Amino acid sequence: MKLSLLFLLVGFLVVLLQTTFLHLLPLGPIVPDLILVLCVYWGLNHPTVGAVLGSFLLGYSVDVFSSPVLGLNAFAMSLVFLAAYLSSRCIWIHNPLLSAAVVFFASWIKGAALILVGSLFLAAEGLWIGVLKYIFLEALVAAMLAPWVFSLLRRGQSYLEEVRMPL
Amino acid sequence: MIAFLRRNQVLLTSFFCLLFSLYILSAAARGRLRGDPIGPILLVLMRPLQIGAQETVAKLKEIRQGYVTLRGIASENERLKGRIMELEAERNQLLEVEATNRRLRDLLEFRSQLPAGSVTAAVIGNSASTWFHSFILDKGSADGVVKGMAVVSPVGVVGQVVAVTSKSAKVLLITDPHSGVDVIVQRSRARGIVSGSLDSGTILKYAKRSEDVQEGDRLITSGLDTIFPKGLLAGTVTKVRKKSFGLFQYVEVALAVDPSRIEEVLVVSAEATQAKE
Repeated sequence: MKLSLLFLLVGFLVVLLQTTFLHLLPLGPIVPDLILVLCVYWGLNHPTVGAVLGSFLLGYSVDVFSSPVLGLNAFAMSLVFLAAYLSSRCIWIHNPLLSAAVVFFASWIKGAALILVGSLFLAAEGLWIGVLKYIFLEALVAAMLAPWVFSLLRRGQSYLEEVRMPL
Repeated sequence: MIAFLRRNQVLLTSFFCLLFSLYILSAAARGRLRGDPIGPILLVLMRPLQIGAQETVAKLKEIRQGYVTLRGIASENERLKGRIMELEAERNQLLEVEATNRRLRDLLEFRSQLPAGSVTAAVIGNSASTWFHSFILDKGSADGVVKGMAVVSPVGVVGQVVAVTSKSAKVLLITDPHSGVDVIVQRSRARGIVSGSLDSGTILKYAKRSEDVQEGDRLITSGLDTIFPKGLLAGTVTKVRKKSFGLFQYVEVALAVDPSRIEEVLVVSAEATQAKE
C-alpha cells in the first residue's frame, strides 16, 4: 500500500516536472522523458498489475497535456512497460549501466510506436522524420538520467519494504 | 484457468492496456470519443501545482537576475555596493513592472480591436513531449473559453484551443505538425496553410507553383477558416523553393510569435470573429 502510494506520488511529481520545469533545461527542443524512465523502472523492478496501469496512466497524462489525440502516448508507454517487463524475465538487470542501456532502447521502442501508430491514425506530415531527428538525443538524455532515477526509486522502494517487514 | 490468469496477470493487463489505448486512439482520431473521464481530473489536479511551479520559476529567474547583477558590481567599494544593490534591485523591479505594463497595455489595445467575448489568459504549463507543441492556459469553460477558439497575441497567431476543463484549456500551437492556419500572402494575396513540421520548422503548405510568393513576404490570416480573425500576422516567408515537378512550392516561414516565450494570450471566439466580419 505504502509502495503504491510512493509510486503514485512519484508519477504525479514526474508529470508535474515534465510539464513545467524540464522544458526550461538548455536542451533545445528535447524534453527529458522521466515518464519513460519510470515506466522502464516499473517494468524491470516492480512488475505488477498496478504498475501496468500506472504506465498506461502516465502515457495518458502525456496525451492529456501534450498530444493532439488521446491514446498515442498511452499506447507507447504501455508498450515500453511490456518490453521492459519481458526483458527483465530474460536478463538480470541490476547494474546502472545496463539499466541505462535498457532505457536507451526503450526510448527507441517508444519512438517506433509513435511513428507506427501516429502514421496509422494521424495525418501528420514528416512525423517520422521528426522522430528520427530527435530520438537519438532524447534516448541519450533519458539513458543518462536513468541510473540516478533508478537509484532514488530503489532506495525508496527498499526503505518501504524494510519498514513493511521488520526483523 | 484461474491459475493461468494469476500467473500471467501482468502480461494480460499489458495487452489489455495496449488494446484499450488503440481503441481510445482510434475513437479520438475519428472524433468519436464521447467523454474523457481522466483528462479533466488530471488537468484540475495539476492546475494549482502548475501555477505554483510557474511562480517558482519566475522567482528563480528573479534570483538569478539578482545574482548576475551582484556579480557585475563586485569590484565596487562597500558603501557604493550597498547603494548600487538597492538601485539595481529597484531598477530591475521597475523594468519588470514596466515590461509587464507595456505587454498588458499592448494586449488591452489589441483586445479592443478584436470582437467582444475575447478572454485574456496566462500560460501555466508547457508541452510534456518533444513531438507535440502545446501549452496549458489558466482559463477554462468557466471563463468563457470553449474548444475551437483561436489563441492570439498582439504580435500574431499563437494556436487553437483543443481541450477545455472548467478552469484550464489546452492550446495546440501553430508550431505543431497537426495544426493549420489559413493564410494569404499580404503582397500577392496567394493562399496557403501555415503549419508546423517536425523536420523543417514551420512551413506554408499548398501554395501553388504558379502563385507569387517571395522571401520576406508577410503572411496574414485570411479569416476563411472562421477560427482566426482576418488580418492577423502569422509570419514571414524565409525560404521559397520550386522543384521541377509537383503542384505546390516549398515555403518556409518564420513565425511572428515565438510560442515558447509567450506569457499572456488572448482567446478569441470563432462566432464573435464571424459576427464582426
